Amino acid sequence: MSGLKITRLCKTYADRLVVDHISLSALRGEITGFLGPNGAGKTTTIRMIMGITAPDSGSIDFEDSDSAKIPHHLIGYLPEERGLYKDSKVINMLRFLSGLKGMDSRDVTPKAMNWLDKFGIADKAHSKIEELSKGMAQKVQFIATILHEPKYIILDEPFTGLDPVSQDLFKAELRRFADAGATILLSSHQMNILEELCDKIFLIHKGKELFHGSLSDLQDAYGNVVIKLHLEDAADIPRIVELKGIQNIKQTGAGKLELDLVESANAQSILREIPSDIVLKELSLARSGLHEIFVKIAKEGRDEV
Amino acid sequence: MKSDTLKIAKWELLRYLTNRQYLISLVLTPVLMVILMSIPTLLTYFDKPRDTIFYVVDEMGILADLRAEISPPHIILKETEHSEDLASLIYQEKASGYFIIPSKFWQTGEMSFYYNKLNQEELGIIRTAMTTILRSHRMQEFKIAPDDLEYLTQSVSIERTALEKAETMDANVMILSLVFLGLIFTMIFSSGTMLMQSALQERRDRMAEIVLSSIKPTSLMQGKIIGHFLLALIQIVFWLMISLPAVIYLLKFPLFDALQASRLGLIFFFGLGGYMLYSAIYVSIGATMDDMQSAGNTQSLVMVLPVFSILFVAPIIENPEGMVSRFASLFPLSSPLAVVIRSVFVKIPLWELMLSAAILVLSIYLISRLAAKIFRVGMLMYGKTANMAEIIRWLRYRD
Repeated sequence: MSGLKITRLCKTYADRLVVDHISLSALRGEITGFLGPNGAGKTTTIRMIMGITAPDSGSIDFEDSDSAKIPHHLIGYLPEERGLYKDSKVINMLRFLSGLKGMDSRDVTPKAMNWLDKFGIADKAHSKIEELSKGMAQKVQFIATILHEPKYIILDEPFTGLDPVSQDLFKAELRRFADAGATILLSSHQMNILEELCDKIFLIHKGKELFHGSLSDLQDAYGNVVIKLHLEDAADIPRIVELKGIQNIKQTGAGKLELDLVESANAQSILREIPSDIVLKELSLARSGLHEIFVKIAKEGRDEV
Repeated sequence: MKSDTLKIAKWELLRYLTNRQYLISLVLTPVLMVILMSIPTLLTYFDKPRDTIFYVVDEMGILADLRAEISPPHIILKETEHSEDLASLIYQEKASGYFIIPSKFWQTGEMSFYYNKLNQEELGIIRTAMTTILRSHRMQEFKIAPDDLEYLTQSVSIERTALEKAETMDANVMILSLVFLGLIFTMIFSSGTMLMQSALQERRDRMAEIVLSSIKPTSLMQGKIIGHFLLALIQIVFWLMISLPAVIYLLKFPLFDALQASRLGLIFFFGLGGYMLYSAIYVSIGATMDDMQSAGNTQSLVMVLPVFSILFVAPIIENPEGMVSRFASLFPLSSPLAVVIRSVFVKIPLWELMLSAAILVLSIYLISRLAAKIFRVGMLMYGKTANMAEIIRWLRYRD
């Protein structure tokens, strides 16, 4: 079921079309990765979803809202530009922000304490924000985003600056929310996390939709097969380079190669072409990951300019 | 569900009321005021006149008259003779100086004064006394009786009566009106600065986008204005609670009579109007700045805006019916102050009052709308103070 539906959204800033007829459906119970190079129009799109900026045209529909009104109290939003009032106490901060979301102040404290405890910072409830480390403050921001148990969660770069343990904690909680039926839109540049966490990927570039679908569909559309080799004798490398059907070769170490195949090439037939006297220490076959696809698309974009 | 504006107002209120700095300044400010106001009294107390000795070389034999004429008992006149060494006598006796009443004093009216320490007040007392003696001597010369002199030199006295009796305002009412005005301007200044900082903090602490994803920018702006209005009100009420008993009991000020006679409605309408107008300006300007130090010319100019209306005070008191006064009471930035001051001196025609009020209300509406636009865009711009060109561009944004 479509939790959040965006239809032909447009936004122009000073005659520049920064969001160009974007259509996107984020489903309930799914985490949709919102991906694109810097300046692609991600933040503008998110701000339009949140009603902070008004679109020039197009529509944004929330499943739980009959009218065109944005159901702010059902959304948890963590913007890229985020902070907390430095001179406020953690618990007061959480009370204030969840109050803005319509939560009853009596409900806030026990729930907030519960979350603080989960993130291991319960003892900081009455500390001022300025006394917290950056990671702790980020946990408080995350708690403020989800404390009112939103049905929609929109996160812009939530993982930057987090240690791996906290990252895992964030990921687990997001997955739990999705499993409980929340619609989650996640913008990030940490490809490994997106690969691991997202059910769908939405790729935006220069304000335009490039791709919308599952990761494997994306790999089919943009990814190539990559052959990773470790040769015993590095002197054999030129003989590998001569092989047909390879568009790019990357040397990753002594005798270590990554062969990026052309789209039409068949990995098995290329492997068969490798002369039998070349001794292989390691051989693996993979499809290019989100990182490679992203870099490729971002580069293509730059070349077009 | 409470309205978003009230939530913000409550948050601002609680934040400051639990802030140690705010509470300290709340209590310390009146204490400082009392100290500052009592400094002149204290100074005069410590500056109590001590005995001052003057030596007099009296060639006329009028020292007794002079002593009778000088009333302050701390000025002591001692007679002495001409001598080469009068100066060392002065130092030796720790006297303030000596003077010579020459034999031709009746003709010239001149005398010489040599001093060690010069006190203008004491010199004035001596001069006045000598003048009186000289004058009465010369009157005798012309055979004029003292009563006749008074008759000759009398100045004209004018008895004033206003045609409309009700408009003669009691001095106490005038004082009260001016005090109210002072309080309102104190509120505008103190909460104006606080509002600006509060808007600025929203940007500095990177909270704007988080808050604006839950509520409308106008709610945030209005909430801040209301919150800081309440804070300023608490401050004023607190100060009044401290000072009112003193004013009523010590100064015997007929507060309740004066209150009844004052035009409180007028004062509060224009006071509140001025407050709202300036608050909208301050809070939106705060949203254009990244920190107080980097505020550009535009911003600094806005900060001193209320001072300009104070510049009108003197011309209004001088001529409450003049062009300047009329202009000042129509111009929205100065009307809150000008109307109240004018109303103390003259009866402002009803149509003029209505016009001032209408212009003020309209300006509040327009300025609030512009302020909301600036506030909305300003809040989401990070890391720099906007210049005038940018602010104008923001006003043109559709959202």
